[in-house]
Amino acid sequence: MMTVLLVEDDRELRATLRQALSVEGYAVLAAASLADAQALWAHAPAAQRPDVVLLDLGLPDGDGAQFLEGLRQHSQAPVIVISARHQDSDKVHLLDQGADDYLVKPFGIEELLARMRVALRHRGRSVAAAVTRYAQGALDIDLATRRVLRDGAEVHLTPTEFNLLARLVRSTGQVVTHRQLLQDVWGAEFTEHTHYLRLYMGQLRAKLEMDAAQPAHLLTEPGVGYRLSDLRA
Amino acid sequence: MEIVPAVSRAFRAVPALAVWAVAWGLMLALDGSADLANLALVLVLASAVSGLWLSAAESVAVCALTVLAFNWQFVPPRGTFTVDLRQHIWLLLTMLAVGSMVAWLTARQRLMAEAARAMAAQAQWLRSFGEDIRAQPAAQVWSRLATALQQLTQAQVCVAARTAATGPHEVQLVQGTASAEELAHLRECTRSAQASAPALADVHGYQSHVLPMAGHSGCTGAVLLRLPRGQMLPASVLSTAQALCNQTALHCERAEVDAQSRQAQQEAHTQKVRNTLLAAISHDYRTPLATILGAASSLLAQQQRLSAEQVRALAQTVVDEVQTLGTLTDNTLQLARLDATGVQIRRDWESPEELIGSAVARARSRYPVAKINLRVATGLPLLRCDAALIVQLLNNLIDNAVKYGPAAQTVEIMARPLGHELLLAVADRGAGIAVAERERVFLAFERGDTGSAADAARGAGLGLALCRAIVLAHGGSIVIRARQRGGTSMECRFPLEAQPEQPAPEGSAA
Repeated sequence: MMTVLLVEDDRELRATLRQALSVEGYAVLAAASLADAQALWAHAPAAQRPDVVLLDLGLPDGDGAQFLEGLRQHSQAPVIVISARHQDSDKVHLLDQGADDYLVKPFGIEELLARMRVALRHRGRSVAAAVTRYAQGALDIDLATRRVLRDGAEVHLTPTEFNLLARLVRSTGQVVTHRQLLQDVWGAEFTEHTHYLRLYMGQLRAKLEMDAAQPAHLLTEPGVGYRLSDLRA
Repeated sequence: MEIVPAVSRAFRAVPALAVWAVAWGLMLALDGSADLANLALVLVLASAVSGLWLSAAESVAVCALTVLAFNWQFVPPRGTFTVDLRQHIWLLLTMLAVGSMVAWLTARQRLMAEAARAMAAQAQWLRSFGEDIRAQPAAQVWSRLATALQQLTQAQVCVAARTAATGPHEVQLVQGTASAEELAHLRECTRSAQASAPALADVHGYQSHVLPMAGHSGCTGAVLLRLPRGQMLPASVLSTAQALCNQTALHCERAEVDAQSRQAQQEAHTQKVRNTLLAAISHDYRTPLATILGAASSLLAQQQRLSAEQVRALAQTVVDEVQTLGTLTDNTLQLARLDATGVQIRRDWESPEELIGSAVARARSRYPVAKINLRVATGLPLLRCDAALIVQLLNNLIDNAVKYGPAAQTVEIMARPLGHELLLAVADRGAGIAVAERERVFLAFERGDTGSAADAARGAGLGLALCRAIVLAHGGSIVIRARQRGGTSMECRFPLEAQPEQPAPEGSAA
């Protein structure tokens, strides 16, 4: 059974999520504060360490960033940030600091479950084999052979286009921030050049999407980054 | 701004001497052919003309001198100051009296004209100084005053004034540098509002004038003019300097009063907007809340008697209405944030196509049956904007188009460059908005309208007020246009900036 650490200070939301996740077959550890969460994590037996963390941003005794920082020192467990709309910049910051994905309150339970499924699929990927294949809808992308097919026909990509696409494939279904993309594809000194992304995402969409204005795969997360959709989630 | 310098004394004497030289030349030439009385008339004429350049005293003195010379040269017996005939004595005395009188009158007339001209020039100069400082931001006023005083007096200038930082009873140096002693004099002058020329111990080789800056309601500061010792300022220059100081003080007082009244107006306006906003929001929240409470309590109380289909429908109602509330909350918070003065939006280079795609994806999942048609030009330039805000703008426009249009309509979303602007438009086939209402719908909250028409528009009102705030925050504009075959087009225009430099294109290799 998968274990979820749910860090949320609002009692009603905590109770509702706890029940919904239990119904889905998750074991739920619920914490109402940063201290609770740290204690729960520290005292859980190694075998029952949570597989995924749902982390609310505004906690009464500190912010989620502190918890994430402590967690990342010894664990790669996926972390999904739960934020309110006005915490937009905090959210992006946490994603850059190693959180895996985010949800904005209010959200539906099916949305949460989809995000969790994607996060669990990527669990431990940084140490195990990375995702090297994306075969969904009309697209078949194989990073190992550097072949990209659309409706069975080979699509020619420039090296930069391919690197950008590959970065998104490795995080299929998860949001990748502008900063992460720029750093991994162009290098650390280009992290402010978001206009590069606009150009290359436009080119990728033109080559890979049926309708570039209404993409089915290469999704925009306004103000945050991009997401390669995971239709299985 | 410059005062025409007075023509120097020596220079002025040149034309007067020339007049006398010509007059004497003429008299010597006419000597013998004209009689004495005629020659005397030439002398009187010269005396009158030379008065144009000489002072009154000089004119009279020169006139007396020439009468003596005339006596010596022309009146018999020649070569002596003695006069033979009594009638010649009368002639000389009359010449002296008339010449002096004419010269004196001419000189006085000239001086009065010069004084009037100088006063007009000074008034003009002061006026243009007043206009100049009125156009300046508060921080620049002191440096303008210092520059003007420096031009006027050729002195070193320092200015001490009351500022926002000093409070109402203290002054600080705002222009130039001053010793502690000079600063003390500036303070004292501000307090007493009296001009003075203090003897300063620790500034050697200089003498100072301290002038108050007097406004209507007291002294706003003082000015210190530092001149090389021994150089005196004429009274007229000093009075012009004082006028400059007073004019600056009046300007500062006026600016202060203006700022206060603007702030009071703004506060009153903010308060009014806040009140109407709160009233409207609580109204807007009630409808979805009532629906949610109805559906949820029905699920709770009638659970046993509801069919599975009815339960599902009620639950869906709750989900839909909560989404409405969520949007309403986002709109309210964003409007409050944008309404706050000096709000900074987070701009980045964004692709309009992507932002539209993002808004359309949300609309398709929220309104699965709505028909949405995209007319987005290819190769749109990038827009420097806050992505979340532009998506929120589009979401609101699409929500309105879907909600207030007929069920079978197609909502159209358009984007294309238009000169130096980007046009984003969302169009419906709804009932349209009357011309008189087109500006009002954006202001439904600010105006606090009541009545059924306002109520009907209110659901859209908060959203449209936010749309306007978002567009304005980006330096753009939003207008409502009637469409040719019915319906409304909400058109937003955003200024385009010079595009950022993109990396060089690469050949395809992968």
